[in-house]
Amino acid sequence: MTTVLATTAAICALAAAGALPVLAAVGLRWVSVTLAPLAGAVVAALAATASLTFGGPLMSWFVGLAALGAASVFGLWVVRPDLGPRRVSPGSGGGALHRAAGIVGFLAVVGTCAWSLRGLRSPTVGFDARALWVMRPGWFLQSHAHLLVDLKVRSLGLTQSAYPPLVSASTAVAWKITGIHTARLGVTTVAVLNACALATAALALVECGRGMAGRLSRPWVPMAAGLVAAVLLVVVAAGVTQPFLTNGYADPLWSLAAVGAVAFGLQMPGDPSARAATVVLILVAGTTKDEGFVTAVALVVLVAARSIGWAGLRGERKRWVAPAVVALGELAVLLWWPTMMRVIGARGASSTFTTKTDLAHRTSATVHGMSPYLHVLVLAVPLAVVGGLLLSGLRRRMGLGNDLWAWAALAVGLGAVGAVLVASTSPIGPWILSTVHRITEFPILQAWWIIGVWAVVAAAGLAGPRDDAPAVPRAADVDTPDASSAPVGDPVGVPG
Amino acid sequence: MTVASALVAAVALVSLVGQAVRGSRTVDAQLATQAVHDATVDDAFYACIDTQAHSLVGPGQTVALGGDNLADLITMIKGFGAWVTVADPASRADVVLTLHNGSAAPGTCLGTRVVGTYRGPDGRTTVRFGTGAQVAGQGPPPAPPL
Repeated sequence: MTTVLATTAAICALAAAGALPVLAAVGLRWVSVTLAPLAGAVVAALAATASLTFGGPLMSWFVGLAALGAASVFGLWVVRPDLGPRRVSPGSGGGALHRAAGIVGFLAVVGTCAWSLRGLRSPTVGFDARALWVMRPGWFLQSHAHLLVDLKVRSLGLTQSAYPPLVSASTAVAWKITGIHTARLGVTTVAVLNACALATAALALVECGRGMAGRLSRPWVPMAAGLVAAVLLVVVAAGVTQPFLTNGYADPLWSLAAVGAVAFGLQMPGDPSARAATVVLILVAGTTKDEGFVTAVALVVLVAARSIGWAGLRGERKRWVAPAVVALGELAVLLWWPTMMRVIGARGASSTFTTKTDLAHRTSATVHGMSPYLHVLVLAVPLAVVGGLLLSGLRRRMGLGNDLWAWAALAVGLGAVGAVLVASTSPIGPWILSTVHRITEFPILQAWWIIGVWAVVAAAGLAGPRDDAPAVPRAADVDTPDASSAPVGDPVGVPG
Repeated sequence: MTVASALVAAVALVSLVGQAVRGSRTVDAQLATQAVHDATVDDAFYACIDTQAHSLVGPGQTVALGGDNLADLITMIKGFGAWVTVADPASRADVVLTLHNGSAAPGTCLGTRVVGTYRGPDGRTTVRFGTGAQVAGQGPPPAPPL
């Protein structure tokens, strides 16, 4: 079996595990196609954690959890046929142009993502990928007793083996179903998952433009802007994340998933479908790497805060119960692996943070180390300020979330990584030198996505309002399941 | 509003186009002849020590990764850490694997050989060299990006 065939089989297996839960939660949308393998990767991560916690082979847990998810979905559809995959989404029912934009946008984004993976023509396996990400899958396929030894024994010295399991677990599934246990298959599988996360985040821009179209006299303008911005962002992101997009590292996956989570959870209209996509993306980010875990926890809080809004804080129970339950569920899943690392006493699970080091020196080194990689902020900040001052009303009328949510996510993600660098005991110089270009991927990408969203909003300003355009509620008000109060336009696109 | 929209849209899209051009060039750099050659040599090196380790470890045998050199430990983890059964404690290992870094020679992986040390029931130790693969040239392999 060639690596191409093996990778295809692996991604199909992951997609099969994630397809039904995604269909049930997100609906029959274009973005569900790219979310399904990511959801399957989350299932693989949960299977690895369950295997570590309770024993039993990873593949048994993977198949069992996938079957449980599928059975739950079918049960839900039997009990509530109105929640089936072809349910009418809030504000769906756009015309032919709207549907065509969805098809063209999906094909353009997926095609550009595939083109961006051309780095795979080089057989590169990254240093950390070979030492950890696509080495650890072998541990997940060993017996429970040996997995414990691999994770605990001090003589191996590899403290990063306590990192969250998604990348290695997905590779383990790929190895097991194909019988090909190579680093190369791990790299290609992770690269396709990266592309899925990238496509999902970019499709948010396509849907952003389509969502605005129904309120404008020239609907093709924001749809075209969304498509162009999405395609450009794919190429930009591929450049930002190279060579790690195609050499097996975990940084692009969590960064792109977090960017997608911000797009669907904090920038798009807050309909249930977008919130479900957000949950999948947050779980991907948080079960991929420690930095992703910290950022994902922050995103859980921010998304819940946006959903609850001021109305929830004023005590409207229906406003905060559902978001709080979802947030607690997400946190439980995210905390499972790190908790297990502490319970079993794994290498690298104990904290090495301290406030006794030279914080001023470390802070200075961190700021100076990160600064050269964050020059996009020189563009994004003034653009967002101008947009916020002059176009915020338009943005609100188009049903998008306040730009400050995205900036809050960027600041929290950047701050969390910076705080870890500052408060850790590891030598700061070599650490910054060897990792800064990877750990700043999320804020860089997030800044570019902020720019992309403003491009689409600004394009909507050129399209002219439609005379009979309905009033758009505030972002938090869109959370209601009552479709009549949701904005016009299919928020995440119904396949043509 | 229209002027502001045009301004913001123009600045955003032009900057996205500019960065996309840069991004595309960055991706293309991965396909440079030297980069592909380095990756190929790196792959061949680790495949070589993997094969040599397989020749030294029998089914069911537990392994300790020996030596005092951290770089060698990382190299061994990268080469065959995925499949060896690590012994705990290390003193009970059936095989202690180490690396011998020397000059380029037949039977070596860029000058490196995997060495297996076995302790018999009588306490005598036996040393064997890994076989089955070689890569000509002198190591270490080109360092991939961190």
